[in-house]
Amino acid sequence: MTGGWTIGPRLDLPLGCDPTGRFLPWIIALMVYLTVLGGVGLMLLGDTLGEWNQSLQTTMTVQLPADSSTGRIETAVAVLKQTPGVALVHLLGADETARLIAPWLGPDVSVDSLPLPHLVDVHLEPDANLDLAALKKKLMQVDPGAELADHRSALLELRGFAVKVEGLIGAVVAIVAVLLVLTVVFIARTGLAIHQPVVELLHLLGAPDRYIARQFQTHALWLGLRGGVIGAIAAAMTIVVLGRAAAAVSLPVAAPGLLDWRPWALLIAAAIAAGLVAMATARATIAHRLARMP
Amino acid sequence: MVRLENVGKRYGNSAEILQDVTVTLDPGGFYFLTGVSGAGKTTLLKIIYLAERVSHGTVTVFDTDTAAVDRRAQSALRRRIGIVFQDFRLIEHLSVRDNVALPLRIAGAPEREIRENVPELLSWLGLGDKADLRPTTLSGGEQQRVAIARAIVRRPDLLLADEPTGNVDDEIAMLLVRVFERINRLGTTVLIATHDVAFARQFAHERFHLERGVLTVDTGFEDFA
Repeated sequence: MTGGWTIGPRLDLPLGCDPTGRFLPWIIALMVYLTVLGGVGLMLLGDTLGEWNQSLQTTMTVQLPADSSTGRIETAVAVLKQTPGVALVHLLGADETARLIAPWLGPDVSVDSLPLPHLVDVHLEPDANLDLAALKKKLMQVDPGAELADHRSALLELRGFAVKVEGLIGAVVAIVAVLLVLTVVFIARTGLAIHQPVVELLHLLGAPDRYIARQFQTHALWLGLRGGVIGAIAAAMTIVVLGRAAAAVSLPVAAPGLLDWRPWALLIAAAIAAGLVAMATARATIAHRLARMP
Repeated sequence: MVRLENVGKRYGNSAEILQDVTVTLDPGGFYFLTGVSGAGKTTLLKIIYLAERVSHGTVTVFDTDTAAVDRRAQSALRRRIGIVFQDFRLIEHLSVRDNVALPLRIAGAPEREIRENVPELLSWLGLGDKADLRPTTLSGGEQQRVAIARAIVRRPDLLLADEPTGNVDDEIAMLLVRVFERINRLGTTVLIATHDVAFARQFAHERFHLERGVLTVDTGFEDFA
């Protein structure tokens, strides 16, 4: 193409001049942006769940009443140590308990003046198959006020929540993909209608359908990649900003690490996928329409 | 090369535009198709380049019955035909060079071949300095030559020209026919449709005349110089 510098591949059809295609890169950019952030959100959720899973499945807490005697406490600790599957038992000292409540009551509070329960950290072996009901029964025989905090039920609730969030993000990504396909179909059909005379001319000059379809698919690939790159850059900037912000504060979730390769791989994959989906959609749409032409 | 047998064409319930047309174009032949505007010349050309289907009769192009070809075979047949359209049909956003290169690109010719052949052809047709211009910036006569260049760039087996001399003066018209004759000497069968019977009779080529859809052989040579 000559007579003016234009960005993009050389095409027989002036598809680059179509007003309908002008907004496609921005639509695709938005879609890639949402997809990447959704994908990164899924990764974080997965990582957080994994961490929680790891820590909660291998630890539990035993709580003994504040007025438990030293003898009962020692007996309870001994029961725990003798339980098969228990790797480590640690009775929290006054200073450790003080650190735990410091975020709520301040660092200078005296734990001796408070009726705080005695906490025992229990670490389990990785494949421990504990009979929690039996253990709880044994502990209550030692001290009727003993409580066993099993984190597994909470974990199950968290997992259920995570599955719902994953489903929601997956649905958003699917909707985004469908929107991308519909947008490209609309633009391809409009382009074919606008350039009908040139398409007819190309046919008369002996161009097979695939030659004409290639014009549309090349154009769609170009627009898709442009939009994909714009969306990926915007998403990358967002990830960097969020990563830095997350690093500055303590979060109960896994923060997006800039050294983690997965978000960057997702960025590149999303940008390329946007181009390929746009290309394949344009090709299929045009091939279908051309086949119905006389 | 091309054989039309008892070909008739009508659109809807209108009168027949072509009535039982039977004609043969031999390989390497040079023919004029004359007739007033509306006589059916363009329709006849369209039937040969497979843009129109006949209402009845058979059309054979390059030994292929056109009624039996699928889309892929149709494209392959068309690539062997060069067409000069009455309205030129140049693509406005492409340069003269790219317009002329179009049949080569469609045929999958390498860019090196395009870079060598197209400028040479444009120079031969006096358009060497117009290669980078858009068709809309050219005069009618220049656009016509671009259309001719596009039609002959692949040295087609068959060249169909619809009123190629309609928009140019007699001198240029004569020059264009000489160009077609040179193409013809390279082995291309040429069929030129023109409303100008007197002009066609200046050349010693076979002539067919269409009148109200009926094709006859024009044997008049009284104006032949």
